[in-house]
Order: sequence, then C-alpha cells, then structure tokens
Amino acid sequence: MRLSSRLADLVLSDDRGEDVRLGDLWRERAAVLVFVRHFG
Amino acid sequence: MGDAQDEIEAAGGDLVVIGNGAAHFAKAFREDLDFRGTLLVDPELRAYRVAGLRRGRVEVLSPRLGWNALRALGKGHRQGAIEGDPWQLGGALVIRPGGDLAFRHVSTVAGDHADPEELIAALEPGLVPLPEGEGGSALASVARPLGRLVDPLVPLSFSRPGYAIRAAGFDPDDLVVDLGEQRWLVTGANSGIGFETALALADLGAEVELLCRNPERGAEAAERIADSTGNRRVRAHVLDVSSLADVAQVAEQLIDRPVDGIVHNAGVLPDDLIESADGLELTWATHVAGPHLLTRLLRPALEAAPAARVIFVSSGGMYTRGLETRDPDWQRRRYDGVLAYAETKRAQVVLAELWAEAFAETGVTCNSMHPGWAETPSVESSLPRFHRVTKPFLRTPAEGADTVVWLAASPAAAGETGRFFFDRRAVGTHWLLGTRESASERAWLWERCEKLAAPFVVVPSD
Repeated sequence: MRLSSRLADLVLSDDRGEDVRLGDLWRERAAVLVFVRHFG
Repeated sequence: MGDAQDEIEAAGGDLVVIGNGAAHFAKAFREDLDFRGTLLVDPELRAYRVAGLRRGRVEVLSPRLGWNALRALGKGHRQGAIEGDPWQLGGALVIRPGGDLAFRHVSTVAGDHADPEELIAALEPGLVPLPEGEGGSALASVARPLGRLVDPLVPLSFSRPGYAIRAAGFDPDDLVVDLGEQRWLVTGANSGIGFETALALADLGAEVELLCRNPERGAEAAERIADSTGNRRVRAHVLDVSSLADVAQVAEQLIDRPVDGIVHNAGVLPDDLIESADGLELTWATHVAGPHLLTRLLRPALEAAPAARVIFVSSGGMYTRGLETRDPDWQRRRYDGVLAYAETKRAQVVLAELWAEAFAETGVTCNSMHPGWAETPSVESSLPRFHRVTKPFLRTPAEGADTVVWLAASPAAAGETGRFFFDRRAVGTHWLLGTRESASERAWLWERCEKLAAPFVVVPSD
C-alpha cells in the first residue's frame, strides 16, 4: 500500500481544533508535510 | 518561515506543519513564526509512525545535535520549553495530487532537516515519483535467495549471520504502521523476546498488557517500556500461565474490551520433572494448556477486534520431536527438560494450526514462529553450555523478536493463518521422518486442551 494511502484517512486537529483529513491536503495541490520534533 | 512558504506556494505546493505537542503550543508556533499554512497537532504520533519517522534516545543525543544546535544559535534561533515527545525525530514528505510520493526525508538525528532546495525541486511538474512498495534495495534481491540458500545450514541459519543475511532482504516499509487503535497482550514480557516484542508494539503505538509471573519484574518492565517509548498505555498484570485458575482470573480482568492480539511467549525449561498446579508437567502446562485456555477465554474479545492476530512463540527445537500423545506428562519416561521443551514447542505449532481452523469463520488469524537462537536470560539459565559455546553467534533478543513483531503488526502478514514463520517467511514444519502427527493425534491435542479448559469456560444459558 502506498504511503499516501496509509496517511490519507488519518484525521488530525489543526491549531483551531478543527478536524483535518490528511488525504484532503493533497487532493488539488501538492502538499509539503513537515514533521517537526516538537513545538517550542 | 515566510520565504520558504512563498517558494513552496510559487512552486505549486502547500506547506503543512505537523507537530506532536498540544494545540496551544501550535498557536504560539504560528504567531512566533508568522506561519499562515495548515498547522496540525499529532500528540499520539499517529502520522509520525505511518510516515516511518524515527525516535529514540541514541539518535536524539547524537553528537551532531550539539553542532546543529550551535549553528542554529549562530543564526539567532533559541529553543524554548519543549512541548511534546522529546525523543521523536522529524522529517518531511512531498505528496502530489493523486498520492504520488515525490520526496521523503527521515531525520536520523535531532537537527537533521530536509534540504529546502531538494524539497522545492520535488514540486517540479513531470518529476518521476519515488518508487514505493518494491521491497527495498538491490541488496534485497540478493539477500532473499541467499537467505534460502542458508536454510539447511542450521547453525548459520538460526544464528546471527542467518538473521543478518535475511534482514537485508526485509522490506523496511513492512513495519511502518500505526497500532494506536490496537490492544495487545504479551505473556512472559519482562525479559528477552517477550520484552522486546512488548517494547516494539508499544513503540508502534499499541496499548500493551504485559502478563508476567513476577509482579516486581513485570511492573519494572512496564515502566521501562513506557519511559523509552513515551507510550503510557503499558500495564503489567501478574499471571502464571502454568496455572489454569490464574489464567481464568486474568482473562476475566482483560475481557472487558476488544483484544487485537495475543503473543504466547512465556516459557520454561526446568531441569527436573515439576507438576503444575493442575497436575500437568510444567512445560506442557506453560506452553500448551495455559495459552490454549487464555485464547479460549478471550475468544469473544479477539473476535470483537477488527482482525485480531494470535501468535505462538515456538522454537526451532520443535523440529527434533513429533507430537507426544502417549506420555505428555512424563509419567512413564525418565524426565529430560530439553526434550520436554521440544515436545511442547511442537505441540504449540500444531495448536496454532488448530486454532487457525477454529477461527476460520472469524477475522482472527493464528500463527506460530521460531526466533532462531537468541541470547535471552532463559537460554543462559536453562542451557548454560549451549549459551557459552554459541554466545558470540546468538541473535539479540530484538532480532529474535523481529518475526513476532512482523506477524503482529505488518500489513504484509495480514490474512496469514495456520502457518509457521521464521525470519518473516512461512517455512515447513517437518524436517525429520517420524515427526509428522496423524489426524487422530491432532484431534487428541485439541480434545485434551478443551477438556482442561472446560471447568473454566462458562457456557451461556439460553
């Protein structure tokens, strides 16, 4: 299974508390996902 | 941050930052860095795990950290209070519309960031996406046939070199999974292969219940696992698998919620004939009767999970013996602990096949495996001479646990049932003449286990 397919259905909260389905992030435009070690 | 965002947007992408801290720290991050893109929080590290990002003290405390921190300070960056999992490392992905992966960077030390130029170049239209799901490198294509070639050479195959050869052929993506929704039980989890299995499952995000005979060692193992993985959903329960009453009592505590898997790992190798609390020979009670009852009593919880997996940790020693049906409790033979061990490890392989048949109409799978020759506390105490001679070539406990973890967690192992695995491959169960059991002998094993379980199985009234 492709990595994008495994990530697509994960739902995370944004900083306003809204749910975001990851697959929606690259539906129309490319997404650059940067995973940071931590905030701070 | 603003410049990088402008460049990414100009190249046709959207910048998304994912952090493992809480939402209020994400808000501060947005304000401090004037960030206008999507900012997500992932406190349970689910996306991190699926993305295959690494974590661990050794990597985070690398000497390179100091160098990178100095460079960052030189550029005016100051790190504030850490929020989130301090051991989690970062990384970056570029995913195009349609799901093609155009770029992947996995940090190996803290401060090891993706090269911004490479990242932006990955947004270029027409760039060939990265290959995925092809099972690794050119080395892998050599390692696989070589692994099969060493199969008949037992000392090489079962020891560390055999693992090293086959591991070169493993698909690294097989264990890029998130077990955040799963709950696993591991018996004998305070040391050796059981500990390494529990540690790996916790590191993949699973809730892990450690079932250990010794309360202090169990609690200590749970604490060590929680500390080193950052996963606090690790608990120890006291269980002597050789005691059927004990198994029934613990099963009652655990049946409240679905169970996604059981690793039957607890093992013993006594020098002398010891009778269990239920009058069985101790290895038979620990390796066969106890695991059968635990599986039997937790069957409803296993079937309540989406696709539970049951795994018996057997031994390569089982190849030397057939299924013993005439004198399983050593009443008419002079006791030999090593033979008793091998016989009961053979019984586990057969029992796993029988459970696979019993679960056939459900989503539950059942397999057995053998870890090869691994250096574990039980090998050292039970087989001191073997341990002394083979020590330099023994697999580490983590290498011994690798196939257990793969069977438990990998999508590649999904649907496999009733098979015997070694180094992530299904292998044959008979090498020697006279070790193949008959249908009636298989039926005897199931009936004996069921008879022993019967007093503890509550039949629902109509």
